[in-house]
Amino acid sequence: MRWIPEYQPDVERVERFNSVARITHWGHTVTFLLCLFTGLILFLGGVDWLAAIFGGYRGAGLVHRIAAVGMTLMLVFGMLFGFKGYIAWVKDIFRFGMNDVKFISIFPLDFFGLEMKFPPQTRFNGGEKMNSVVLMTMVSLLVLSGYIMWFPSIFPAGLVRFSYPVHDLAMIFSTLMVCMHGFLGSFHLGSGESFWGMWKGTVRADWAKHHHAIWYEETYGDKAKAEAE
Amino acid sequence: MARLMTNLYDVSKCTACRGCLVACKDSNQLPAVMEPFKGNYATHEDTNGNTYTLIRFIEHEDPVDGVRWNFLKYQCMHCLDAECMKVCPKKAYRKTEWGATIHDEDKCIGCQYCTYACPFGIPKYRTRTDTVTKCTLCYERVEEGLKPACVRTCPSGALTFGYRDELLQQAEARVKFLRANGFPRATIYGKLELGSGTNKIYVLTDTPDKFNLPVDPKVSANTWVWQDWIKPYAGWLIPVALGASAVSFVTNRLINKGDDHAKGGHE
Ligand code: HEM
Ligand code: SF4
Repeated sequence: MRWIPEYQPDVERVERFNSVARITHWGHTVTFLLCLFTGLILFLGGVDWLAAIFGGYRGAGLVHRIAAVGMTLMLVFGMLFGFKGYIAWVKDIFRFGMNDVKFISIFPLDFFGLEMKFPPQTRFNGGEKMNSVVLMTMVSLLVLSGYIMWFPSIFPAGLVRFSYPVHDLAMIFSTLMVCMHGFLGSFHLGSGESFWGMWKGTVRADWAKHHHAIWYEETYGDKAKAEAE
Repeated sequence: MARLMTNLYDVSKCTACRGCLVACKDSNQLPAVMEPFKGNYATHEDTNGNTYTLIRFIEHEDPVDGVRWNFLKYQCMHCLDAECMKVCPKKAYRKTEWGATIHDEDKCIGCQYCTYACPFGIPKYRTRTDTVTKCTLCYERVEEGLKPACVRTCPSGALTFGYRDELLQQAEARVKFLRANGFPRATIYGKLELGSGTNKIYVLTDTPDKFNLPVDPKVSANTWVWQDWIKPYAGWLIPVALGASAVSFVTNRLINKGDDHAKGGHE
């Protein structure tokens, strides 16, 4: 049984994510998961054994806050050094069209292992666009409501009360997405090279052509090459 | 359930001497908290981590009666259906058989969920211990057969401790008397508030709003949505996502046995 496709350094590869994108991606992964597991202790109504892993409830609270600051720093780092990347990402999300709708509607079959014929996709396919929008929104909400919960005395009481359901709902929707995203980006066979794009930064050119035809054409295709020259 | 025991506070007998505040501090070994002078007689605006009870001084102008000056002893109301207990993720609160809501500082992690869930905003954060604190209804004293410190000290008879049902009858009679003797709006507070009432009974000489008390205290809709909908139901989306991924992991490998995506990619 294969877990993820083998990394093949000797075939033609193209860059998919630069180092800033990769650092922020994995930085968010680690801080998100730390926040998640320390937060779940309270969400599930006081899980003693989970709290014990972080040195008790106080420890878990501290880890939650340290990871939260780490996550905030990741956002700042990304904005400072990868601002263009963020803009390109958002722009690509807004190229949501018929191809994306088609992608999302037949994707559930692909998800469970059937091979489907998808229309050509831009840099991010319909599902990735959806994942991006949900996660961007939910993480922003988590950060905003989180700081309000951390320092309740400096905010109006009504806003503090509002932050609790927001923090929990945003946690639920983002975690839902993260579960799917984590699986699709690694062990899902149909996603092929995806994982290496975020881990090593490059993907096989033939994979890029297959999965993100529009993006490949625009970035590495003949026309793009001609323009570059 | 054992018979409920509670405090009756009769505003009409209170002289605002603040003996209860001092007795409370003494009994609970709480340091003095100095607040800046705000232009009135109040020593404290609100409860705080080291002040479980205080006397509010409320001035208001009435077109008929002229300026009125109301006092109110303010502290935890020991709601019979206590919201602090529900929101606390550490289950640091418990109800005694006789109705006191008590808070266990050893369990508390200082998240302050209870501060914001409480319809009266009573539990307050205390930096020194990194926990919240509040009135205990002197449950340790009561369980030894004593009265709460505030009741014991009250020189004017404004505070009485006893069985809730008896005190309610007493309060009823007192309200009747007050209504007939110059306080037509006199009322009981705490009998039915929040549905099941509180385990503190007030006899007020005027409507609750004239004492800065919520006329119809409520748990915020946000708190309710959070506790009664999101926590019990919405979280199930996560195991569903994990389950779907696990199924997909297996079906992927069953259906795609021979095919190697590492070669041609996959459409
Ligand atoms: C900047 C980011 C964040 C900040 C400042 C923040 C802050 C907080 C604070 C102050 C609490 C109260 C708990 C305590 O006192 O220990 C809390 C609870 C919680 N947080 Fe966060 N958090 C952040 C991000 C996240 C993330 C990314 C997740 C999950 C993916 C998360 C999930 C939770 C959960 C589940 C709870 C428990 C809520 C409950 O009791 O129902 N938080 N957070
Ligand atoms: S501050 Fe303490 S008592 Fe209040 S909800 Fe949090 S853990 Fe419970």
